[in-house]
Amino acid sequence: MTATRLHIAADAAAPGSAESGRPESGRAESGRSGSAVTTVATPTLRAWLHRSSFWIITSIAIVAIAIVSMLISGGAQATGRALAGDSPSPAGSMALVEVLREQGVTVTLADSLTEVRAAAGDNSTVLLYDANDYLDADQLTELADLAAHTVVVAPSFLALQALAPTVGFGGVSEAESLSADCSVPAVNRAEQIVPGGDTLSIPQKNAHPLVTGCFASGTDKFSLVQVENDTTGGIVTLVPDARVFNNENVSGYGNAALALGLLGPSDSLVWYLPTLADLPRTGPPSLADLTPGWVTPVLLLLVLTTLAAAVWRGRRFGPLVSENLPVTVKASETMEGRARLYARGNARLRALDALRVGSVQRLARTVGLGRLAHLDEVIGSVAAITGSAPSEVRRVVVDAVPASDAQLVALSDSLQALERATSRAAGTATAPHPEAPASASPDFDSPPAERMDP
Amino acid sequence: MTLSGRFVFLVALGIVPIVVFGPTAEAATGVLGAWLLLVLALGSLDLALAASPRAVTVQRMLPARVRLGETVTSELYLTNTGRRRLLATVRDAWQPSAGAGRNRSRVVLGPGERRRIALVLVPLRRGERRVEQVTVRSSGPLGLWSRQATLNAPGRIRVLPPFHSRKHLPSRISRLKELDGRTSVMVRGQGTEFDSLREYVRGDDVRSIDWRATARRNDVMVRTWRPERDRRVVILLDTGRTSAARVNNEPRLDTAFEAALLLAALASVAGDRVDFLAFDRRVRGRVQGASGAALLSQMVDSMAMIEPELIEMDWAAVPGQVRSITSQHALIVVLTSIDAAGASTGLLSVLSQLTKRHTVVVASVLDPATVEAATARSGRDEIYRAAAAERALLDVARVSAAIRQLGADVLTASPAQLPPALADRYIALKAAGRL
Repeated sequence: MTATRLHIAADAAAPGSAESGRPESGRAESGRSGSAVTTVATPTLRAWLHRSSFWIITSIAIVAIAIVSMLISGGAQATGRALAGDSPSPAGSMALVEVLREQGVTVTLADSLTEVRAAAGDNSTVLLYDANDYLDADQLTELADLAAHTVVVAPSFLALQALAPTVGFGGVSEAESLSADCSVPAVNRAEQIVPGGDTLSIPQKNAHPLVTGCFASGTDKFSLVQVENDTTGGIVTLVPDARVFNNENVSGYGNAALALGLLGPSDSLVWYLPTLADLPRTGPPSLADLTPGWVTPVLLLLVLTTLAAAVWRGRRFGPLVSENLPVTVKASETMEGRARLYARGNARLRALDALRVGSVQRLARTVGLGRLAHLDEVIGSVAAITGSAPSEVRRVVVDAVPASDAQLVALSDSLQALERATSRAAGTATAPHPEAPASASPDFDSPPAERMDP
Repeated sequence: MTLSGRFVFLVALGIVPIVVFGPTAEAATGVLGAWLLLVLALGSLDLALAASPRAVTVQRMLPARVRLGETVTSELYLTNTGRRRLLATVRDAWQPSAGAGRNRSRVVLGPGERRRIALVLVPLRRGERRVEQVTVRSSGPLGLWSRQATLNAPGRIRVLPPFHSRKHLPSRISRLKELDGRTSVMVRGQGTEFDSLREYVRGDDVRSIDWRATARRNDVMVRTWRPERDRRVVILLDTGRTSAARVNNEPRLDTAFEAALLLAALASVAGDRVDFLAFDRRVRGRVQGASGAALLSQMVDSMAMIEPELIEMDWAAVPGQVRSITSQHALIVVLTSIDAAGASTGLLSVLSQLTKRHTVVVASVLDPATVEAATARSGRDEIYRAAAAERALLDVARVSAAIRQLGADVLTASPAQLPPALADRYIALKAAGRL
């Protein structure tokens, strides 16, 4: 400590601090705090880290385990879309796409017709799987014109109408095995495909030489139909059963051979699963289009500002101070409770009795009778001194039974009136009730005034 | 570590650059990121430049005791032992009942400097009020972020009972002095003591003429008497559960303190020996063998720490406690509460043991609310209240009669009147020579 100047702290809360800072000599110091080194209650950052290291490590471990387990379970679950080229789930088609890529085919995963337009060339193959029927007839026709070879998986009615009007639905195949039976090269290489699944029919087969049906099961049920467009020369292959291409089934039977045969010949393949982006947009521009770009960052900033404000106002200025509070019991609680009991039970007579006992004692004192005076004596004296009939006094003080609250009030008033009349007649200025006593009595021989005994 | 309002404002100020420089979402997000980085960098810089609150040493100066209702200055000396200039807010963490008010103060401390922080305390309750810690929040030069540490700086102050009833003391002392040298009303009882002889003046009691002295002198001489001295007064305080009840928002115990202090002050002026005992099931406070100024200071000191205990008073142990204080005849003042007959059986059962040897006065607080309720009878509910109040007063009267039958004296009065009434009773007993 180099400088030991004493300053007067500017303390708004202490108006008395303007006086000198010198400790007054008359004051007793509570000495304990005079030590030179003050201990610090707040732990340092290092001490805090050391103390709570177990919890820090535990929480990090829990988060790590959660992330890892989420990644593992996320891979196993069928979360991706069916036949999605990047989905390793059983319904996806990542296996097929990867194999095609290894064979040197450029596979483009497209989500919208715009992307297909950009990716597809004259020599491309397009695979279309439109499970939700997003595309309309015009878009389908345009798609068929984009590439030389189009493979439509599980075609909808609309797709059939647009691409192959002569082909209809054939129901579910009941054959136990589906074998190659036509001149399509890919079908011949495959020899067999997975049995069952949807089929197509060609009602007037002979009238349409450009339509070829393969993997027939029974009459007029085909699991693959190839249609050749006579004007453009484009080939459309319809595969009603999507299972041929998915990860789960592609390795069975000749599925892989069929898929690779259909998709592999050209250098580039567009794997097209239509999404909402293909639906034509209608109506006015959305709110998101109209708001300026800075709105979201400003909202984010406001959230952060609120967080900072919460820390600013919420950070505690040191630990809480404990305070032991005193018990608060009002002494008159028992009296109030008893009064409520009387009122709830309509105990009129009992209440009146209490009032009467008190009155009789005060009357006895007023007329100069002792504590042990008989009731009849008190009644007689009171009647004599007030000049009223003893029977009337007796009625008020003893006999009358209140039948209603109104009578109770009336009797209580009569009691008070009787006390007042008695004390007036006795010539004393005593109030109907003695106030709590203890004015200093000048007479030392008699005890100071106080409440009389009954 | 903590933030300031200035920092919050600075964060919010980022709206301006985001709106000005961010027409598209990407640009605005970039500006937001840059602003946050800037703000965090400023805050960290500020924190790094703030002086360490741990380098502060604290010294506390406090008076040891204060009477309830008076103010006292608590002084805190802060010394900055660090190398940096400390800009801090200091919180002196007194208990709320110490009445410290706004206990935060701004302090600027250069390296090695020492400053005083004065805090005016107005204690709200009797007893020991404590402070354990001082929290120092040291802000950086920019006032954005600050460091905070809590330092141990214990202190305690004993808040004594207020002794409001001392205003009655001068009048009672003068009345006590009037007893000196009185002959006409004084009866030569066993308690009064012979003082001196003086000449007869008209009006003196002829019974106090000393004939032998008259024969020796040629004048009629009378003996004068003075009140007895060096008697013992034992004040016994009931700190059991009934003493916690509040009458006029004051616990019965505090009224009993007032009465005990006034009586002790008066009795020590009158030359009597006063012993004080606060008891419920064990001794909560005891003052024995003190006299003069030491008596009162020891009494208030022991009273300061006494709180009503929520247990039943052990009356059976009281005669033994009294015997341990004195075996001579004494005036025993029992400050307790007289309620229902059932609650007072303990007191009644041991009272005869006390009255056999001693003069006993039982003093109790009477609730003025009860007396008021007994007279207010304007409606149905008020009449039921009056009936209940009347019943309570009857209970008190019945117990009082029982106490009188056992040979003790009873005093009931409202909280404001009990201390002077007890003093008057003491003077009356002294005048009667019954001590």
